[in-house]
Amino acid sequence: MSSQAWGSAATALGEVAKLPAFVRRDLLVALSYRTAFVGDLLGLLSQAILFYFVGKMVNDDEVPSYGGEPTSYLAFAAIGVAVGVFLQFALTRVAAALRQEQLQGTLESMLSTPTAPGTIQVGLVIFDLLYVPVRTVVFLGLMTAAFDLGFEASGVVPAVLVLLALTPFVWGLGVLGAAAILVFRKGAGIAALIGGLVALASGAYVPIDVLPGWVATVAEWNPIAVALDGMRSSLLAGADWGATVDDLARIVPFSIIALVIGLVGFRVALRHERVRGTLGIY
Amino acid sequence: MQALSLGHGSGEDLADRGARSPDPLPRLRRVVAPNDRAPLVRVDGVSRAYGPIVAVDRLSLAVARGELHALLGRNGAGKTTLLRILAGLVTPTGGVAYVGSLDVARHSREARALVGVVPSGDRSFYLRLSALENLVFFGRLQGLRKRAARGRAHSVLAEVGLAGESERPMATYSHGMQKRVSVARAFLRNPEILLVDEATHDLDPEAATVVRALVRRAADQGAAVLWATQRVEEVRGFADRVTLLDQGSARFSGTVSELLARAGARRFVVSLAANGTGRILQRDVLDRALGAVGRVVPLEGDGTYLLSLADGVSLGDALGGLLASGVQILNCRRERPEVEDAFLAIVGSQGSTGE
Repeated sequence: MSSQAWGSAATALGEVAKLPAFVRRDLLVALSYRTAFVGDLLGLLSQAILFYFVGKMVNDDEVPSYGGEPTSYLAFAAIGVAVGVFLQFALTRVAAALRQEQLQGTLESMLSTPTAPGTIQVGLVIFDLLYVPVRTVVFLGLMTAAFDLGFEASGVVPAVLVLLALTPFVWGLGVLGAAAILVFRKGAGIAALIGGLVALASGAYVPIDVLPGWVATVAEWNPIAVALDGMRSSLLAGADWGATVDDLARIVPFSIIALVIGLVGFRVALRHERVRGTLGIY
Repeated sequence: MQALSLGHGSGEDLADRGARSPDPLPRLRRVVAPNDRAPLVRVDGVSRAYGPIVAVDRLSLAVARGELHALLGRNGAGKTTLLRILAGLVTPTGGVAYVGSLDVARHSREARALVGVVPSGDRSFYLRLSALENLVFFGRLQGLRKRAARGRAHSVLAEVGLAGESERPMATYSHGMQKRVSVARAFLRNPEILLVDEATHDLDPEAATVVRALVRRAADQGAAVLWATQRVEEVRGFADRVTLLDQGSARFSGTVSELLARAGARRFVVSLAANGTGRILQRDVLDRALGAVGRVVPLEGDGTYLLSLADGVSLGDALGGLLASGVQILNCRRERPEVEDAFLAIVGSQGSTGE
């Protein structure tokens, strides 16, 4: 390997080595807000109870079956809610975190260090990227323990793989929202709009069959809908690795494209703000 | 307070630092040679416009190793914009700014590794975290390994006199303490270049003295310091060179002595009394004593007057005239500090646009 390549590799490793600092920072900040931390977990519990009662109103015959077995609305919705919350976090957190750094004046302090923009993008959300899946698992665990949802243990690994494959797609859209924040200051609305549209056509909360025909057509190509369907199949009917590979093949290209668009968009927004000279203005 | 050990100026220092903490940007060693006589900061005809407003206008200056260079100017003179350009936060619309031998606009990240920044605002930290945790975080972003960052954070906090307060959340710090942490953060990587923006403008005199001493010592140990201030009296006895900015342009650049030579003060506050009796004198008596060399205006009715000299007349001429007329001179001082006189002599007293 040439010395230049070694230098680039060392620089990249140096950037990766900075990420734990972001995790530690956000963990310390989260722990300093103990009430909010506990409140979030209690909120999860209340969500579970809410869906239990909603499930009592819904006829299970209307819910798609997986693996030939009838599915309860509660099991169907629990996965949708868990993934939906994951999506909301991933979509909005990059932009929200960036906005927070702008408002507390720390964004410029970070950008004054020899840290790559990509490291800052990842660093802003890496704590959430670690925390939210844990939160999702806790939610599903609570639901299972409380309401016996009948999840198949063999489906956990394929479901997690599908979720991981979907993460860059959602995160790419989130980074695009952050780029909007950089340029338009209050771009969170744009991120929420994108998130809302994507979630609507995903079947997170209601079966796609009950949506208008054109939405159902969009959903066939919506990576989130593909991921949700794959996760439901795995968790409710057990592992089917052939179907999982098929799902991954449909999700991964969208994830790569969304991630590239997001990262390039953020870089362009950052350069635009440096040229415009308004990086520190909020 | 412990002595600063910023480690500038020798090849051994740089090599030692590199050995203790692997540098993620190894090319920097070639960018700043330890004994290089070339300026560490060079600004060549830099301009920055925000639409129709020109914040910096074809500005050129250079700061050598070990030099504390003051950027003096009113609000809106272009000081902060220039520092932001050098910190890689704003791209110039014209000209080139260099740190070391790096064009900041083209090699922003590498350039930032050479620079420590003390921003003017008081919001640049995570207030829920302690000063120690803040500095460890920013040390990591500056490329220090975890253990090195923690060790360095302890060290710089001790240097700014906050070792005993390092575990407290920064929200509980006074403004002066937060500013000292800001200076400590800039020292984390022993930067070759310090950019300090209005570090003392809202500090009490004691805290301001501490901050100035820290930065002065960094310059004495080899750092090139660019110190932006609107406190004209601050540069005397502190800065080595001064660039006086007005509406984005350099109106003066030179040593503090050269700046003072431009003072040309013509107004003095004098305390006068009748020789022997000590009684307060009437203005017409004093005007007759001064004749054509100057005139006085009573200030407080307690024997204090503002003495204005006529063109071409020295202070000695005026005081000699008063003494010869039996006036006792109890006190005499400049109406304004010399630096302020020089500042006003150069830029005048008109207002300027906001920055």
